Amino acid sequence: MSNAQQFDTRPVVDNESEIAVESPLAFSRHRSGAPKAKADTRVTVRERAFLGHLVLRGGAIVLDEALREVVGLGLPGEPLGLVQDEGGKRSIQWISPDEWLLIVPGGEEFDIERRLREALGDAHFSISNVGGGQTVLELSGEAAREVLMKSVSYDVHPSHFPVGKGVTTVFAKSTVVLRRPSEERWELVIRRSFADYLYRWILDAGAEYTIGVEG
Amino acid sequence: MTRHTQQPNRLARGGRVDRSRTLNFTFNGKRYQGHAGDTLASALLANGVDIVNRSFKYSRPRGIVAAGAEEPNALVQLGSTEAAQVPNVRATQQALFDGLTAQSTNGWPNVQRDVMSLVGKLGGRFMPPGFYYKTFMAPASLWMTYEKYIRKGAGLGRSPMERDPDSYDHLHQHCDLLVIGAGPAGLAAALTAAHGGARVILCDEQEEMGGSLLDSRELLDHQPASQWAGRVVEELAGLDNVTLLPRTTANGYHDHHFVTLHERRTEHLGETAPRVDGYRPARSRMHRVRAGQVLLTTGALERPLVYAGNDVPGNLVAGAVSTYIRRYGVVPGNQLVLSTSNDHAYRAALDWIDAGREVVAIVDARRNPDGELVEQARARGIRVITGSAVLEAQGSSRVSGARVATIDAKAFKVTGQAEILACDTIASSGGYSPVIHLASHTGARPAWDDEILGFVPSLVAGVYAAGSARGIHDLAEGLADGSAAAARALAALGRSAGAIELPQVAARREGAASALYQVPHEKPTLRAPKQFVDLQNDVTAAGIELATREGFESIEHVKRYTAMGFGTDQGKLGNINGMAIAARCLGKSIPEVGTTVFRPNYTPVTFGAIAGRHCRELFEPERYTAMHQWHVEHGAEFEEVGQWKRPWYFPQKRRAENGEQRMETMDEAVARECLAVREAVGILDASTLGKIDIQGPDAREFLGRVYTNKWAKLAPGRVRYGLMCKDDGMVMDDGTTSCLAENHFLMTTSTGGAAAVLEWLEIWHQTEWPELDVYFTSVTDHWATMTVTGPEARKLLAEITDIDLDRESFKFMDWREGQVAGVPARVFRISFTGELAYEINVQANYAMHVWKTLFAHGEKYDLTPYGTETMHVLRAEKGFIIAGQDTDGSVTPEDLGMHWAIGYDKPNSWIGKRALTRSDTKRSDRKQMVGLKPKDPKVVLEEGAQIVLDPSHAIPMPMVGHVTSSYYSPTLESGFALAVVKGGHQKMGDTVYLPMVDGQVHEAEIVSPIFLDPKGERQNV
Repeated sequence: MSNAQQFDTRPVVDNESEIAVESPLAFSRHRSGAPKAKADTRVTVRERAFLGHLVLRGGAIVLDEALREVVGLGLPGEPLGLVQDEGGKRSIQWISPDEWLLIVPGGEEFDIERRLREALGDAHFSISNVGGGQTVLELSGEAAREVLMKSVSYDVHPSHFPVGKGVTTVFAKSTVVLRRPSEERWELVIRRSFADYLYRWILDAGAEYTIGVEG
Repeated sequence: MTRHTQQPNRLARGGRVDRSRTLNFTFNGKRYQGHAGDTLASALLANGVDIVNRSFKYSRPRGIVAAGAEEPNALVQLGSTEAAQVPNVRATQQALFDGLTAQSTNGWPNVQRDVMSLVGKLGGRFMPPGFYYKTFMAPASLWMTYEKYIRKGAGLGRSPMERDPDSYDHLHQHCDLLVIGAGPAGLAAALTAAHGGARVILCDEQEEMGGSLLDSRELLDHQPASQWAGRVVEELAGLDNVTLLPRTTANGYHDHHFVTLHERRTEHLGETAPRVDGYRPARSRMHRVRAGQVLLTTGALERPLVYAGNDVPGNLVAGAVSTYIRRYGVVPGNQLVLSTSNDHAYRAALDWIDAGREVVAIVDARRNPDGELVEQARARGIRVITGSAVLEAQGSSRVSGARVATIDAKAFKVTGQAEILACDTIASSGGYSPVIHLASHTGARPAWDDEILGFVPSLVAGVYAAGSARGIHDLAEGLADGSAAAARALAALGRSAGAIELPQVAARREGAASALYQVPHEKPTLRAPKQFVDLQNDVTAAGIELATREGFESIEHVKRYTAMGFGTDQGKLGNINGMAIAARCLGKSIPEVGTTVFRPNYTPVTFGAIAGRHCRELFEPERYTAMHQWHVEHGAEFEEVGQWKRPWYFPQKRRAENGEQRMETMDEAVARECLAVREAVGILDASTLGKIDIQGPDAREFLGRVYTNKWAKLAPGRVRYGLMCKDDGMVMDDGTTSCLAENHFLMTTSTGGAAAVLEWLEIWHQTEWPELDVYFTSVTDHWATMTVTGPEARKLLAEITDIDLDRESFKFMDWREGQVAGVPARVFRISFTGELAYEINVQANYAMHVWKTLFAHGEKYDLTPYGTETMHVLRAEKGFIIAGQDTDGSVTPEDLGMHWAIGYDKPNSWIGKRALTRSDTKRSDRKQMVGLKPKDPKVVLEEGAQIVLDPSHAIPMPMVGHVTSSYYSPTLESGFALAVVKGGHQKMGDTVYLPMVDGQVHEAEIVSPIFLDPKGERQNV
């Protein structure tokens, strides 16, 4: 056994529990608003809040095996790779040679961590729950790529950034995990504390394309 | 030919301006009209405006000389409102728009009658060549005085004093091939690469792409060259793999083919960006391009000849004359004398005569010019005077004549009697200099080419030059060269180029050019009327000669001595002439003298474009905690800690003595918050502390190696304070680390040190101890942390948690898990205040709920939110250090008196151990941390104040230490401080002195740094 402490950080929601949950963008929506999409909107941004985020570190072979068994999804076969299940609800992204980011529907992460720990047994690995510390922003629309070009120095041209790729890169003066789950959508995995800065940046960079905020 | 009534120099037809669209503009307060397609310069010339500025040093009247980026004189201040002011805009590169308002940069009250001109005539005496050089060498303090007056007199434009209404932008671009310059070579290259399927960016600084093709006399495929250019641009615009950037200057070539392109998006439309659907687009955009390969098709700049009076308005470079006539339909005068050393410049005379005006003569330095253009000129009946040059322009506010004589260029002598030709315009051409600026940004030194009489760019790997940019001025050869260079560049990337059909160009025979830079005068250079080399900085041939006489032989020294090329034009017109003159004076050849190199930017770039959207509210990231909105709503003042915004203190309203409500001062708020923690209970948002999740069977061993103290026996459920040193033994960071399970630890770091500590752990793990099985993951943002501290902390927390808070079962330095306000929480019983304290950690998405619940229950305990200032006071009362405030990279754990946190006898070595056993770190007279108690309790010592032992010692007094932290303590009712003092640990009870800037000397006693509760009883309750 890994002999690590596992801790479910989500409250048990029973009988209409009154525990308010706030995404990292709660303050930003309050302060900066969320412009609605209009007819001439060419880029939209949508937050996919409260997902389960686990950072996995360890050897690729053992992790891959355990993930297939527990999540039904193996590690991406190459560096900078992103794999997802069929509905796109669960994804695994290469972060560094011994690090992957597993994103699952919110609430699944504790159980998945427990089963992964069981499956991994005595292997050397770590699993860290970081779901409260990051959130996912989705950019879509014909101008999404240009908004990214204003923000990241990484080459986001389709010939260089095909679907199924993901990188960790500088975004404005912060850092994001940038990934392309489909032809139409880009995802930014952003850190909670930088979320407001990044949200304001994206609204400002997207104003030219009448950016709209969904959800 | 009929003349436009409003615009006396405007031709009835020809050029690329739209005469059906008249644009109004104002120059120096006077209203004029021009047309769509004009530049400000072409419109001014069309209106017969001769004087556009006064010169920098001599305040001489100056006119437009060139038609592009090389223009030295026509610098204007743009803008009709204060907010729209833009200094030093080149009129030759500013497209005309309706309502444009411009003023001469120099010359007050107006350029026609300049009060500075009298000063200007004397100015040479006050500012001889070398003025700047000598002034810089003088005491630097004087420079500040000189500079103020020079700038005022010279007037280098001014910045707006109001907020810029425009926005600016950056765009990161990537391509296989970046082509800079859309003239014939650039267009052929871009088309070649585009047809090969490569990702191509083609940029050009002008309003319209096409370069020299837009005003060429030559035909491509039997049609005007501009038609071919138009077709190619249209084709390129339709290709997905091509990005066309007109009005875009490649201003800097940086390392690894990183090129910055400055695109002016709205400057041709108005002085501020016009609104489109309520949105104001970015006025200019910096494209930050990473190119696979770069092709420089930047063309060449024509060199004027250097002759006496060559700065009088009406003196132009020959190519500019052609450009104004053929591109803008403007003839900048009536009677032309052309002075040339080459065939190509003849087209200026042919264009002039085609425009229906008089060519007085072509003065050719060559004895037997015989090219096709020469024959054409003769056939048109133009008088060609050979073996001669214009020695001197006559006139003061406009050329009135040209003195012409035969010369011997090699001997630098006038050989014949001068003849005076009446004229109002003198065009000159001394040949063509490839635009080598960008290549020289890469650090490659340009090389002189005797064949083309110019410097050609040296190229680092991956950079190519084609066409005029490398001295291939022939049109057919330039087109082919561009295409071939693109193919070579793509081949280097392992790609093949596409096939394109180059247009047919009629072959043309050109005679050889002769080398002529400075035209000799009957008088020696030092006595002849001024012969200008650098018009913008008023550098003359005599100035350069003087520099060489004063012993400046390196061209870099000559440049600095004379300020040649120091202007905003970087000496685009004058530098090569200046080098040629220096070479003549030194008896050397031009390649022996060499050239100066250019730095970015090619032309000035606005600060807005450099900043992009990294300004104002987006200047720096602001990091917020999950409780930020609560802090804002409760009136917190914020302190910046790294990029975090932390509540500094929470000022509250209080009733003043006169009964009115007023806000607390910071001192009042901090005193109130401190007492609340000492007497009741306070709460701090501590979420910003760095948190690192450490897992693996070797986690414990790893901790033992990066911390100075011991970790072998820390049991699950326990917490320990740790000190981290750099390998030099100096304290780097501190914090607590908790044992979560046998193979699982949670490390905390200081707020500012979080990223650096994680990096530090990774570096040591990856490079030194890869055999240790351990992983580190940042969980800083995942957890929100709230510190509830004070005598009432237990009672408050007990109301909303299921954790047993009994002092025996949940001891100081324990942690427990359970629920707080219904949310799963880890609670750490650690204390940075010296009071009973619980640090509650919950998943950040639920933090606001927990925080508000604490306040809902906290009212009866007078729960008081406190900020970082109070935190600092409370911890300093306990002698707890802050790494980075009380330490500065030169302080060891021993210096801090923290021997208890050093495990010299640990089985394995640890970072810093070796350094801590050196004789220097063992010295007893090192600066050691102590407490200071001012003798006057009202005094709060200044942080940073120097400590001396004898205040009557003559200055400089020996300084023995300094104050690192100092506050007023409402608990102690006294000021108190932490300080480092040489040998301080042995000086307890001694009196030290702190002399202040105002002459006061504070007295303080050295005491223990623990001012409050030295036994730690309060935190253990």
